[in-house]
Amino acid sequence: MKKLHFSYLALLCITAGVLFTRCSKTVDDPVYEPYPETSLDQAAGSWKTYVLSSADQFSLPAPEAPTSSAYLAEVEDLKRLAATLTDEQKDAAQFWGGNGVLRWHEIAREFAAQYNVPPNYNADGTYPWPDPANPTVYPRFPFCNPPYASRAFALLSVAQYDALVAAWNLKFQHNRKSPAHYDNSVTQQIPENDLPSWPSEDAVVAAASREILKFLFPGEKALIDAKSAEHKNSRLWAGANVQSDLDAGDSLGRKVAERIIAYAKTDRMGQANNQAGYQALKDAATSRGYTDLWVSQDIPARPPMLPYFGNVKPWNFTDSVKVAIRPAAPPRAGSPEFESALDELRDLAKNRTSEQWRIASFWADGVGSYTPPGHWNRTACELIYEKTLNEIRSARALALMSTAVQDAGIVCWDTKYYYLLPRPTQVDRNVTTSTGIPNFPAYTSGHSTFSAAAAEVLGYLFPDHAAEMDALAKEASNSRIYGCIHFRFDCEVGLESGKKVGSYAVTRGKNDGAE
Amino acid sequence: MRNKLLCTIMLLSGTCSLLTAQSPTDALMMPQHQICILGQYASGTWDEYWEGTNRRSNSNLGTFNTTNVMLMANYGITDRLNIMAGLPWIKNSSDSYLKGQQGVQDLSAWLKYRPLALSAGPGEVRGFVTGGVSTPVSRYVNDLLPLSIGLRCPTASLRAVFNYTFQFGLYATAQAGHTWRGRTTIDRDSYLYNNQLYYTDEVPVPNVFDASARIGFIKPRFQTEFWIERNACISGDDIRYNDAPFPTNKMEATVAGWFGKVFVTNQWAFHASVSKVLAGRNAGLATTWAAGSTYFFTVGE
Repeated sequence: MKKLHFSYLALLCITAGVLFTRCSKTVDDPVYEPYPETSLDQAAGSWKTYVLSSADQFSLPAPEAPTSSAYLAEVEDLKRLAATLTDEQKDAAQFWGGNGVLRWHEIAREFAAQYNVPPNYNADGTYPWPDPANPTVYPRFPFCNPPYASRAFALLSVAQYDALVAAWNLKFQHNRKSPAHYDNSVTQQIPENDLPSWPSEDAVVAAASREILKFLFPGEKALIDAKSAEHKNSRLWAGANVQSDLDAGDSLGRKVAERIIAYAKTDRMGQANNQAGYQALKDAATSRGYTDLWVSQDIPARPPMLPYFGNVKPWNFTDSVKVAIRPAAPPRAGSPEFESALDELRDLAKNRTSEQWRIASFWADGVGSYTPPGHWNRTACELIYEKTLNEIRSARALALMSTAVQDAGIVCWDTKYYYLLPRPTQVDRNVTTSTGIPNFPAYTSGHSTFSAAAAEVLGYLFPDHAAEMDALAKEASNSRIYGCIHFRFDCEVGLESGKKVGSYAVTRGKNDGAE
Repeated sequence: MRNKLLCTIMLLSGTCSLLTAQSPTDALMMPQHQICILGQYASGTWDEYWEGTNRRSNSNLGTFNTTNVMLMANYGITDRLNIMAGLPWIKNSSDSYLKGQQGVQDLSAWLKYRPLALSAGPGEVRGFVTGGVSTPVSRYVNDLLPLSIGLRCPTASLRAVFNYTFQFGLYATAQAGHTWRGRTTIDRDSYLYNNQLYYTDEVPVPNVFDASARIGFIKPRFQTEFWIERNACISGDDIRYNDAPFPTNKMEATVAGWFGKVFVTNQWAFHASVSKVLAGRNAGLATTWAAGSTYFFTVGE
């Protein structure tokens, strides 16, 4: 009997040991390590800008020569600093030393997730709406829903890109290299290259990103300022820039960002939440012969999400092109095509497989997530890191993709509020979902449109990943059928529409001077 | 047999198996070579919950209902050492359009040891130590709280139980335990925890401390008991305002309840219980009742 005790106890101890190993709380986050850049892109100063009229729209006073006493004094300051670095400063040098463009997108994705919660209803059944003038008062500004996020990533990418084109133009005009080039006793803590250091591309990115993100997430100003200061200082701690490289870069990045913000104030986003105008959209849909219009599935009914986002100014084509490429009308309730799509969902709601659950959850990108545009932003950043693109090519890739993703949002929202097709659950309450039902009409699927546009651009930028990107977009699209959030035709037409939208950004990419 | 691990895991679903009979947390033991098999049906409901510390209702969720069907077995290896195991089937539903969830949850096993048993005054004092582990037995959906039937993480627990029973049947029991909970894996590869974005599908689930006190009266043919207990995660974050619960949440609850058991034969007993959550954090304000039956027999003597 004693022996039996022992074997039971041993069994329990072993099981406990195995479980305890699995009980570890450590979770792994990806790391962006510094890498040597593959190209200098000397001609990037002539690449086509988005908002700036040209790369030399803003000028800076010329830098001091590397032989000047002012410059030599800056290098001495750098060497003194190198002798006093703390571990935190060394870590920051590595953290920002990889690719600052990617770091700022990481910050933007975190804000997107933090601010992606719809406001709760009031006691009287109404809903509060965030006030940009009081961003920290509940409901905080912004409610970073997918359209808002798509525009945020586009504005951030465009600001970074335009600012870097302007910086590259100045870099190769003045050709002042990094301090280690002129003084052997400066040890650079991150990989060196021949890119001129004035104005600092990192300071340009830090300043442009800082100003744009403070405009988009005004409640986060203190944190954004601190990140920007750390990014710039990290270049001193890494021994990669002198102070005047950073000052010039900051000045340029800020000026470009101010120009982008001026553009953003006139892109008609300010009217996107025009709830008073919603009746006009419903009347227009009714006049087109549609009677079974979408209604909010929230209790109490929530005002529709950004009914006029479809009217926001697109990046890669005109308003009239947007109307021309608007998808044709969806099948309406009662038609055989509609009923067969509904039957598919009735069946899925009852018999969803665990693989369908997994796909529906993986791509849900709902409340508290960085949204579908954030999901594709992350995918783009991972490809950029894999291909070790330099800052300006990173910003170009992100600008091409992010503008296409916002354009996809605009075309999709225009379509949604043009046809006002109900969600499947509105038509049949038995169609239970695997995730929250978004508060806007079904046709076309936002996930499908965003994803196809992103995949089209990423496939162009990274041809060896083109098939993979298409497969991801298709899976993202299918996820909405599996979740019973969308009819199959919402998704299939959304994919086609997104691909078309993406092709406009690809055309721009082929003609922006970077090929 | 009361399953404290489940109680803790299912705070939001309000699923507690409210039962005391030869459980990891009570002061009863099976004699050597005796087995008991237990079946129990429990049903809980709530329409208010604590979002962080803020008590609210949610018209989109409506009323939350949970059903728990539990099978347990307990075997007396010796009079002083018992081994037990339990497996619940759970069904959760709400008024929401979200798909309700059901399935077999986590398999638990415990060893319960009685190092202390001596006469003291008009009764007897006894002490117990219980160690347990649990592991999910299916890949149920764990990222759809509160509808998910569990968090799908492994656990290990250790607890101590003290009891004083007067010869005429009155007793008091106090117990406290700690449950280590491991990582769980969700179907997406990013999530917010403590307002920080994590880029992984692995989610750390907070550990739990629990304690309870119970006073009752026990005779060979029946038992009645009142109890109060406290379950609290040691770390974790709050549900964000107007967002859904998540496995990282710091779930807490104070629960009070009554339990009663009657033997209809020497081998066969029925029990019932009812309980209510009195206070909580990231938890449902649940009212739960349970009823079940236990069958006792001897093997291998």
